[in-house]
Amino acid sequence: MRLRVPLLSAAALLVAVALVAAGCGGGGDKKGAGGDGKQAAQQVLRMAWGAEPPSLDPGLATDTTSSNVLLNIMDPLVRLGDDQQPVPALAESWDVDGKVVTFHLRDDGRWTNGDPVTAHDFEYSWKRTLDPKLAADYAYQLYGIVGAQAYNEAKPAQAAALRDKVGVKALDDRTLQVTLTSAQPWFVQQMAHHSFLAVHRPTVEKHGAKWTEPGNIVTNGAFKLAGWKHDASITLVKNADWRNADEVALDRVEGRIIVDGTTRVQAFEAGEVDALDGGGLPPADMARLKQLPEYEKYPALGTYYYGFNLKNIPDVNQRRAMAFAIDRRSIIDNVAQADQIPATGMVPQGMPGFDVIKQDFLPVRADLDKAREFMDRAKSPKRKITLFYNDSPGHKEIAVAVQGMWKELGIDVTIKAQEWAQYLQFLGPPPSDAVYVYRLGWIGDYVDPMNFLELWTSKSGNNNSRFASPAYDRLIEQARSTADDDARYELYRQAEAMLTGPQGELPITPIYWYTYTNLERESVKDTFHINLLDQFDLSKVVIEEA
Amino acid sequence: MAAYIIRRVVWTVPVVLLVIFMTFTLMKQIEGNPFRKTERAVPAAVQANLERKFNLDRPWYVQYANYVRGVATGDLGPSLVLRDRTVNDIVEEQFPRSIELGLLAFGWAVLLGVPAGVLAALKPNSRFDYGSMLFSNVGFALPNFLVATLLIYFVSVKWGVLPTSGWTTWQHKILPSFTLGLVPMAYFARLVRGTMLETLQQDYVRTARAKGLRRRRVVGVHVLRNSLIPVVTAAAPLLGYIITGSFIVENIFAVPGIGRYYVTAVSARDYSVVMGLTVLLSIIVIVANLVVDILYGILDPRTREART
Repeated sequence: MRLRVPLLSAAALLVAVALVAAGCGGGGDKKGAGGDGKQAAQQVLRMAWGAEPPSLDPGLATDTTSSNVLLNIMDPLVRLGDDQQPVPALAESWDVDGKVVTFHLRDDGRWTNGDPVTAHDFEYSWKRTLDPKLAADYAYQLYGIVGAQAYNEAKPAQAAALRDKVGVKALDDRTLQVTLTSAQPWFVQQMAHHSFLAVHRPTVEKHGAKWTEPGNIVTNGAFKLAGWKHDASITLVKNADWRNADEVALDRVEGRIIVDGTTRVQAFEAGEVDALDGGGLPPADMARLKQLPEYEKYPALGTYYYGFNLKNIPDVNQRRAMAFAIDRRSIIDNVAQADQIPATGMVPQGMPGFDVIKQDFLPVRADLDKAREFMDRAKSPKRKITLFYNDSPGHKEIAVAVQGMWKELGIDVTIKAQEWAQYLQFLGPPPSDAVYVYRLGWIGDYVDPMNFLELWTSKSGNNNSRFASPAYDRLIEQARSTADDDARYELYRQAEAMLTGPQGELPITPIYWYTYTNLERESVKDTFHINLLDQFDLSKVVIEEA
Repeated sequence: MAAYIIRRVVWTVPVVLLVIFMTFTLMKQIEGNPFRKTERAVPAAVQANLERKFNLDRPWYVQYANYVRGVATGDLGPSLVLRDRTVNDIVEEQFPRSIELGLLAFGWAVLLGVPAGVLAALKPNSRFDYGSMLFSNVGFALPNFLVATLLIYFVSVKWGVLPTSGWTTWQHKILPSFTLGLVPMAYFARLVRGTMLETLQQDYVRTARAKGLRRRRVVGVHVLRNSLIPVVTAAAPLLGYIITGSFIVENIFAVPGIGRYYVTAVSARDYSVVMGLTVLLSIIVIVANLVVDILYGILDPRTREART
């Protein structure tokens, strides 16, 4: 979900050198973690956002920044709880009956113009997102709803008829009934994604594409959008009429948009901002920043992996050998340095059901003896291969490390960088024949292993490895309609085993599971929290006295 | 002169058309999908809807004709990536800031670069000459991003004198404009020094001195004026460079200008933004060159004759 302007890694490196040369040790005079819990008189949070939100229309937003602004100015039906289960937000309760999910909305939801928030708003908004004329990038987030995909695919002539067949219906002002294509146990929790927020129909119809500008926008969340100077600043103010306004401490959130990672950190260190948005710290500065008392890390739902093009490296024993030769711990400690977790499977740690699903096959540390054993078993192994990565910061260093590790197996690796848009095209699917190994990552949209495992079905647009297994596809289809968690996790376990287990095909070799890293002033560190999906809820933030 | 200017303005039209055509062709050649921004695959239906919405499903000549029609009526089209905004919105809101940044940088260059060159030329091989040429060489050699990060580190983080980034008060504008102005500053200093040294050797300067004119008057009226012609020649393309080349400076100092879009729009394959900005830039360069030609006439009467 990340959309980041590639940073100048050379710049970052030079800065690191300059900083070391300047003898900068970072602020080391800080007290222990956490404030004394006393609320400060002035509740104004100064934040640095890592990007200009490309759109504040829930139907059109696709990136982390837009999503985080949106989830603070709009009220989702549910939010993601600490135990990764949905907790009530605008919906006070819900019933799940097989494929039918019914949400019961609170009666005190209000738009900022005073209108009540109703189930009709949701019906309108979701159908609007699916409308082929809006051409929403993330329309497919709603494809789990009956008729949604058909409507989104409709030619202009049939669109109106198909619109009425979409399985979302406001039974009355406070009851929203959704019919799904299959029992999708994660559906309720998916409501925490910004694609499922409601928009205010009269405002959208009045202002068209300009409805998101500060003077026009009507929202229904804990904060109001008071100002948005493009590429410069975003100002949020507390919405005093919000349903739970009494519990919101912050009066204002003064956001500055600073795209360059190094400048963002410098603005923080100069005391101009109190918190960054979790969009990542410059890799070159990691070692130093980790020592700061303001440094904070959060588990993420994401997997950084190297994929194999099965056409070019057809022997699974060679893929096993390569996977065993990678020292994941060393890459994290010496190269990536952001406290990531060594990944031994596609499904990341922290995912519900992880303990059932995980495979104990791939090693955390390189196991060269085993790797060589596998290599010996490989029939005509490929000794000259090419590894591709995209030219954003950090990837090259990992590629170089892996290049060295595979040299131990007698494999001569050429590494090649490509610019992001071209890279994606190059990887297909199917990938270009020049690709032997490629780098990619996946950050979850919702908290269910399905979101990670369905990538490797034969027809998936994200299966860049040419992995095609009818048995795997069947497992995923079966899981899709298995409501019972234990039974579903068991299916996921089998699927994960087919990827990364002892008998697995290894279309990929995972490297690490992501973490989100951030800098937060100690006055807000206790209450500023980034969840697994990279979301932060500013209504919970309290500025404590230093 | 008037006929000359009119002729030049009329010539702008085919030049801009050619620029549009070439940019259009080049953008279509590079691989990449403007609607696939992340690793997430774009379903076929979504892709089709987007292409239909932005007319990318039409044949290329229809797209080209539509675009030219848009430019002619002052409509540069919607951004494919910033979905709430049009290219006109971006230009209207953010271009003035880039111009401001560019002019301030240019101001630094003229204010510091030209006098440094003049003084260096008047006292050749003096300590001042070496000092200003060393500064000029260093200014030329250091890349923007290094200067920018060092300035932020020392001036903002370490000494806390000026803010790190942003573009709100005059304090915010000092570091970015100085950084961007450094290269033209160094360039002007060297250029002025060179041409002045040359002019000082001219016969008419010797004559003026021989006539008994005071040195200050000789330098101020005869030498400086004639030495500035190459500076003016260099200024026009430099202005284009300053306004568009501000990508790095705008990015590092978080200046909400348009410079960054010259680069980010290409990486994002945001065709309409790339086209809009290229057209804009070409018009700037054309206008800047026109202004230079007019200034030539004022500075050097000989060129006036040749062109009418």
